[in-house]
Amino acid sequence: MSIVKEIAAAVEAGKSKQVGGLVEQALAEGIEPNVILNEGMIQAMGVVGEKFKNNEIFVPEMLIAARAMKKGVEILTPYLAKQGVEPIGKVILGTVAGDLHDIGKNLVGMMIEGAGFKVLDLGVDVPPEKFIEVMKANPDCKVVALSALLTSTMPAITSTVKAIEEAGLRNTVKIMIGGAPVTQAFADEIKVDGYSEDAASAAELAKKLYGVA
Amino acid sequence: MDRIPLDREKESQVIGTSTQFSVSANVQVPVYNTPVTPYENFKMMLEGKVPFWMPTDQDEFSIIPRIIPDNRARALVYDAEPLLPEEKGGKDWFGIEWEFVPTVGGSMVKPGKPRLSDANDWPKLIKFPNLDDLDWEGSSKKIAPHVNRNKLIELWIMNGLFERLISFMDFEGAAMALLDEEQQDAVHALFDKLCLFYDDLIGRFQKYYGAQIIQFHDDWGSQRAPFFSYSTCEEMLLPYLKRVVDSCHKRGIYLNFHCCGKNEMLLPAMIEAGVDLWVPQPMNDTVMLAKKYGDRICLGAYPEQLPPDASDDVIKNAAKAFMDKYKGFYRLFVFGGMAARTNPAFAKLIRETYFISREEYNKL
Repeated sequence: MSIVKEIAAAVEAGKSKQVGGLVEQALAEGIEPNVILNEGMIQAMGVVGEKFKNNEIFVPEMLIAARAMKKGVEILTPYLAKQGVEPIGKVILGTVAGDLHDIGKNLVGMMIEGAGFKVLDLGVDVPPEKFIEVMKANPDCKVVALSALLTSTMPAITSTVKAIEEAGLRNTVKIMIGGAPVTQAFADEIKVDGYSEDAASAAELAKKLYGVA
Repeated sequence: MDRIPLDREKESQVIGTSTQFSVSANVQVPVYNTPVTPYENFKMMLEGKVPFWMPTDQDEFSIIPRIIPDNRARALVYDAEPLLPEEKGGKDWFGIEWEFVPTVGGSMVKPGKPRLSDANDWPKLIKFPNLDDLDWEGSSKKIAPHVNRNKLIELWIMNGLFERLISFMDFEGAAMALLDEEQQDAVHALFDKLCLFYDDLIGRFQKYYGAQIIQFHDDWGSQRAPFFSYSTCEEMLLPYLKRVVDSCHKRGIYLNFHCCGKNEMLLPAMIEAGVDLWVPQPMNDTVMLAKKYGDRICLGAYPEQLPPDASDDVIKNAAKAFMDKYKGFYRLFVFGGMAARTNPAFAKLIRETYFISREEYNKL
């Protein structure tokens, strides 16, 4: 098995202790950092996402895979920077105002990161002004992802979208939404650009919205 | 027990009222002239006999004592006096801070600052409560005059096993600890100690409140799937759920497993643990579960939600559709007591299921 395939297997299995050593070994063998990243880790996370969607694996397996990838990326980051390899793009992510739930949002963040994006995670209970502030500070960010877990906080998605419109920023980003009570019909109703029902689909959607799917 | 034909007029009679505890204001609910007590009927279902009617959760008398810090922290108290707004939220039994969310009517641990980042640290950082510190006698004395002993007396244990781990580690930490070889032994040891704690607690629930069924809270899934695989459940949770069930059964108490989420694939684990009753949320295929497992466990089922002003015809049709859906199954109970309190149409629907099941069950 090639070292890149070994890295992919270790990420998929969530062997975070092995991943670091394997990445170092691959670098020592002269393998390009972006090959290690794309063919070793991002592809592995794609497999993890697909298995998660199909209920072949569950949240713990997905989390330990994301943790393993993170270990590898930590080692790889300086080499990628030296080569000028950039993430696919930035995604601003947060749970909307009035909602403290972070589980779904965190899983989405991990999977989007695993797909090769830089995630700007604003946390939970995020007011619209905060989204706008971070959007203004990151004009290269093309996707904003909003999460709500409660029917009672779904209106905060609408008001966040409205605030982004009023700030004149709506045309600069694609907006994707998700969370237990959120549906495609709701996404259509409030005219956002995408809805995903789970973390793995969210990563695919982010790629689609960035035009790299 | 001899079957008794339905006498609709007689069984429609309200022969009294009894208290039903709730978080905001305790209410008086009607007591109907039933052929046996709701307790006797419920017990028949739990023991696999054909009951006289399909029981409802209103046939249980739920007690969630305010003296238990977990219940105040989670803002879920069914006690002699309703819970005051200032009592909602705060520290649970293990000193974990919960934040009450008014729009939800419940509490959650504010994420981001878990007590444990590694399960191995629990012996240093988690102090188990001393059950002797609570005034059990004082609490039971206040509650006792309200209890309707013709119903099945149910005591609740919040935060079960995985939920407790989540409260200590946040969700991601807890989920990973179930699978992380370096944390699994610590999780086993924690669950072992929790089982000893719950065993003592269940004994006190029986001694002081006369518990006949325990509702044990442990949510295992999201709306789309279980949080963990069957094998993880089998290894990390089933042995301890079984011990909690055993703590109940050795005392002649039943266990009602409160386990939200689309967890139908984990039902065999619940059955293996010996759970007596599970109410699958509507995203589960309850008809399929009843067909496949209805001989081994009692299941709860949700009737269709109705607008409060639904006509009598709509209500009767909804009740009939519900009963037709589960025709032939008798280890089922109707879930909807909370909704029935605030929705008169739903309360009527539940009464209709009583009359239909009274007739149908006599044919079984």
